[in-house]
Amino acid sequence: MLDPYILQQLAIGLSLGMIYALMAIGFTLIFGVLNVVNFAHGEVYTIGAFAGLMAISAFGPPLLVVLFIALAAGALAGFGLERMAFRPFRRFSDEASLKSRAMREATLMSSLAMSIIAREAMEMVFGSQFQTVDLAYLINKPIHIGPITIVNGDLIILGVTLLMLGGLQWLLKKSPIGLSIRAVSNNALGAKYCGINTDRTIIITFVIGSAMGALAGILVGLYYGAIFPSMGFTPGIKAFVAMVMGGLSSVPGAVISAIILGLSESLSTSFMPSVWSDMVAYAFLLLTLIFFPQGLFGARRERV
Amino acid sequence: MKLTRRTALLLAAATALTPVAAFAQDSVKLGYQLPLTGNTAQYGQDFKDAAEIALTKFNASGALPVPVEIIYEDSRSDAKEGVTIARKFVDDKEIVGVLGDFTSTVSMAAAQVYKKAGMVQLSQTASHPDFAKISKWQFRNITTQDQEGAVNAQWMMDKGIKKVAVIAEQTDWGQSVAKGFVEPFEAAGGEVVYTEFFNRGLADFRSIITKLEDQAPDAVYTGFFYEDGAQFLKQMAQLDAEIPIYSTSAAYNDQLIELAGEAAEGLLLTATFLPTRMDANVQDFVTEWDKTHDHAPGQFPAQAYDAVNIMLAAVVKAYPDLTRESLRDAVAATSDFPGVTGNTTFDENGEPLKELTKASVVGGVFVEVE
Amino acid sequence: MSKSLLIKLGLLVLAFALIPALLVGFDKGYYYQIATIAAIFMLLAASLHLVTGVAGLLHLGHAALYGVGAYVAAILGANHGIGFTLGLPLAGLSAAAIAFLVALPTMRLMSIYFAVATLGIGQMLYLVFLNWVGLTNGPNGVMLFSGINLFGLEIDSDLGIYYVVAGIVAISILVLNRLSHSYYGNALRSLREDDQCASAMGINVTVMKIQAFVISAFFAGIAGALWAYTTGYISPNDFHFSQSILILTMVVVGGLGSLPGVLIGALLLILLPEALRSVGDIRNIIVGVLMFSAILFLPKGLFGEVSALNFARRVLGQGWAAKKGEKGIGWK
Repeated sequence: MLDPYILQQLAIGLSLGMIYALMAIGFTLIFGVLNVVNFAHGEVYTIGAFAGLMAISAFGPPLLVVLFIALAAGALAGFGLERMAFRPFRRFSDEASLKSRAMREATLMSSLAMSIIAREAMEMVFGSQFQTVDLAYLINKPIHIGPITIVNGDLIILGVTLLMLGGLQWLLKKSPIGLSIRAVSNNALGAKYCGINTDRTIIITFVIGSAMGALAGILVGLYYGAIFPSMGFTPGIKAFVAMVMGGLSSVPGAVISAIILGLSESLSTSFMPSVWSDMVAYAFLLLTLIFFPQGLFGARRERV
Repeated sequence: MKLTRRTALLLAAATALTPVAAFAQDSVKLGYQLPLTGNTAQYGQDFKDAAEIALTKFNASGALPVPVEIIYEDSRSDAKEGVTIARKFVDDKEIVGVLGDFTSTVSMAAAQVYKKAGMVQLSQTASHPDFAKISKWQFRNITTQDQEGAVNAQWMMDKGIKKVAVIAEQTDWGQSVAKGFVEPFEAAGGEVVYTEFFNRGLADFRSIITKLEDQAPDAVYTGFFYEDGAQFLKQMAQLDAEIPIYSTSAAYNDQLIELAGEAAEGLLLTATFLPTRMDANVQDFVTEWDKTHDHAPGQFPAQAYDAVNIMLAAVVKAYPDLTRESLRDAVAATSDFPGVTGNTTFDENGEPLKELTKASVVGGVFVEVE
Repeated sequence: MSKSLLIKLGLLVLAFALIPALLVGFDKGYYYQIATIAAIFMLLAASLHLVTGVAGLLHLGHAALYGVGAYVAAILGANHGIGFTLGLPLAGLSAAAIAFLVALPTMRLMSIYFAVATLGIGQMLYLVFLNWVGLTNGPNGVMLFSGINLFGLEIDSDLGIYYVVAGIVAISILVLNRLSHSYYGNALRSLREDDQCASAMGINVTVMKIQAFVISAFFAGIAGALWAYTTGYISPNDFHFSQSILILTMVVVGGLGSLPGVLIGALLLILLPEALRSVGDIRNIIVGVLMFSAILFLPKGLFGEVSALNFARRVLGQGWAAKKGEKGIGWK
């Protein structure tokens, strides 16, 4: 049973899952609060990677500094994104507008428009090819554990994911900001009546979620050594799937679903041609939707 | 890329405006459809740069009394846009021949238009097995996988390799890579133990590599472009899979080494173009290219450079009685054209016949294998 | 009433006399091509409009159903000798059949869950186009040699093809228009606004949603067949997720719930990138910026639903108008 082959595939699946989870966390946070899909999250992820890359090629700081630069770039991008693509559509705060489908779909499209603009602009400035990354910065140094091989990046990503997850849970459950985030997510209008500054809360949510997205971008970029303008697309779809499987607004649920996705992808390669492995992920998605319409972990009605 | 997009933009704007200029009546016009934006823009931009080098050199040489112009249109590697551009080129009565597109799918969709209208289409990369068979108007300047696969199969046989795994991208080109290799290899008595295709842009090859190692082949034959190739090589090294890797000319690009670093060491491949070769025409091209680029030109820009030159030579041959029909015949008659990717002759189907060289990555550079 | 007739006639004259006259006048294949693509995408947008605009179901996999139609038409035409006349309805029916199978389990899903289900199904169909080499020829695509043959009549002039495409698209849009501006359409709108309430009023929510989804897929399949026949070569990339997003953008930019708006949106998103061709690499950024400003400054779309409804009432309302001595039926 403990065939090294299966063990190795499991290890790969776990590390893939962690990578999806990294992106899904920020995505779920923003969705959980605003109840809108942020199509531009993939571009925030890319911006984080490019910000880190520019820092590396400009003055070659230590890895930790690179990560903080990506975090800052992500926070800035999140702030700008909220200002441009989401704020203008909250100008009507009456109940009808808040519930209106047209208004919600407007932010869907405005974030999509932002993502198109950002991606095309990056393609114009940097070109659409893989950027050259200083190989010393890559976090893919092999580590052998018995019969299996992992890389140092796996440990870093695991650490960051746990840190993000723990930090977020603490923030949401214990801090006053988290309380207002949860309030807004539960009932924006009610929160407003209680004196919570909803605009500020939403901005904070965007800043935190986008900073996490950008951090994911630079980490995954360095993990694979592949940084290019459309890098956010595939992980974006996977994160979206993980978020839905996890029940849309549960961050731990999204993380667990992301790991399930990663495992199923790597293991399915053993049984079928790899081109079909995405099929497994989508099949999982549909099965979850049909049999657990609230998501695997959404039943507890946890909002964030 | 030192040639910034902005200058390229200005150039494009300038070319867009020039038709009104004085020499519009007495110049020869060619069309070039290629992806200048979108996911595959890096390839299209390289083609454009290579074409500009060829064109500038040609116009300076005075081989024709009138200058030749190339009109570039951006297809974004989208069939919709490719077909629209094809119609646009066909409409322009002054355009006598067309180059491009980049991907086979767009080239094939556009080919239906050129076939109907009767315009010669010479692609530098379209690799679909049926592309050149669409009609007498389609030509391509690539190395066919039947040729490349056979050379690689023989190469492995010579080294005593009997068990091979084949990994190729899931595109028409990847399919032909696998087919072109497996047939001659099995005919020569080799065994293909594992065949796998992957979707382009796959980030993680590790599952495939683990499965591949499990089959314990003596070598891996791969069909990928340099970006996927760099990912594959890095992850092979990461998993300590010490299996020799053979590849095709499509992986021949300095950026492969730059992206993969140490992991590219020992990669074996066939190519038709080596920028280090001392032939005068190769060095001309490489010197011009280096003026605007940080990297030596790879296989694809070289193919584009040759495609443009083949087209220009055909224009000279057909001039002054230059029509779409006469240009087509001139292109078809191309024989032993001395290009940077070797001598090119078109067979009756419009397929090029090329000579292949073997190369390997040693000490971070591609070197020719004797 | 004569005014509504005038608008209708005006549109018909525009589509079947004015535009063809211009096309013949310019005599450029390029313009024919744009007109054909615009017509196909108008049909795609109009069919998505029924699901997303009227019934309010966010649908992220429309391009895959369009692909089903294209593949059915192309494979039947290329391998089984079934021509355009029969291939066109078969393409529509196959897309509808697949949509029906898909809709059965997923239709009870709410809002965003449904959107994700359509995303997943769209991606699965795309994987089938790309990887089921035996059926779809995989990444090699399908080449269709036979031209448009309508009831034994070979049509291969540019003008003829335009008339065929424009005719089919016009009929389809007319059907979609009647559907969305009728009691049936109003019932669909009630689902969009509040499906619990609609259910309480005696509307069978799930059945109606399935119907809308299947009808929309039928027309997407028709559009796919038109694309396959007008291009002569299809490959999986033509039906990628990004095409679904493109169609959805047409619907939203044009105005959710408004058919005329949606058609204008489709025209805009096809014509704009072409018109901006001379601008060079920056053209897609401009498209993005325009899209953003359209959403920002015209939140209800270019042609909002209310005005669209008024327009439709004027144009189509006479069928419900009170006849002499009878009681009127309909909206009033």
